Amino acid sequence: AEKMSAPTMEERKACWGARDEFWQCMDRHADDASKCEKLRRSFESRCPQQWVKHFDKRRDFLKYKRKLETEGYHPPEATGKS
Amino acid sequence: LREEKARRRRARRQAELRALALGQGDFQLLDQAGRRRCKADFRGQWVLLYFGFTHCPDICPEELEKLSRAVALLEQEPGLPPVQPLFITVDPERDDVAAVGRYVRDFHPRLLGLTGSPEEVRAASSAYRVYASAGPKDEDGDYIVDHTVLIYLLGPDGLFLDYYGRSKTDAQIAQSVRRHMETYEPLLD
Repeated sequence: AEKMSAPTMEERKACWGARDEFWQCMDRHADDASKCEKLRRSFESRCPQQWVKHFDKRRDFLKYKRKLETEGYHPPEATGKS
Repeated sequence: LREEKARRRRARRQAELRALALGQGDFQLLDQAGRRRCKADFRGQWVLLYFGFTHCPDICPEELEKLSRAVALLEQEPGLPPVQPLFITVDPERDDVAAVGRYVRDFHPRLLGLTGSPEEVRAASSAYRVYASAGPKDEDGDYIVDHTVLIYLLGPDGLFLDYYGRSKTDAQIAQSVRRHMETYEPLLD
């Protein structure tokens, strides 16, 4: 199979722009993905699949970090142990 | 007294760096014009080096832009030796000479990009203790390479003098490089 070319600078910027629009929509709608379907599709069409996965993980991590910073860390409850 | 303390601190750091001797050993790679480049070719030059890969989603372009801006800031200062910006791939399977050529031209005009066989590339990255690990391939055969994200400063004797992480700005890097240039003493005799 032929090697896929890496995205060019223009393609990278188009991907990041689509990602940012999707994320801004999610921020506005408290992460209700159903309100941002069009932008999600645009994001997925402009970015390689691997990058979509990478940015989804990045967003989850940033949300988790923000949660830790605002709410603090709550260790999971211990399962029944004697 | 303060000068004496600073001198002793620098001497201690020099001794640490000499013991660490990061970046010893040769590398034999190809630049974006297909020319053979070995480590000795960079002797006598200050180098800012970044390891990355062209399929990188965002971190590599950001770090290379920052590296390019740091070099541009230093170029504006009269009397400083030029700094060679250098990119070495951690994804030799995909980043051949043509791919590296397409990638580096979006950054500093003097940015040199190096690639080679997997063995040659691995030798170069392990000489600088760069961690690189290719992730799982998806159905298109695409994958992300997890890797150390650092910009390395190499002195004219080819050894590592300093490193800069994601949080360092272009101005901070330029200022650090300038300071190293002003206080430079060769690590190797």
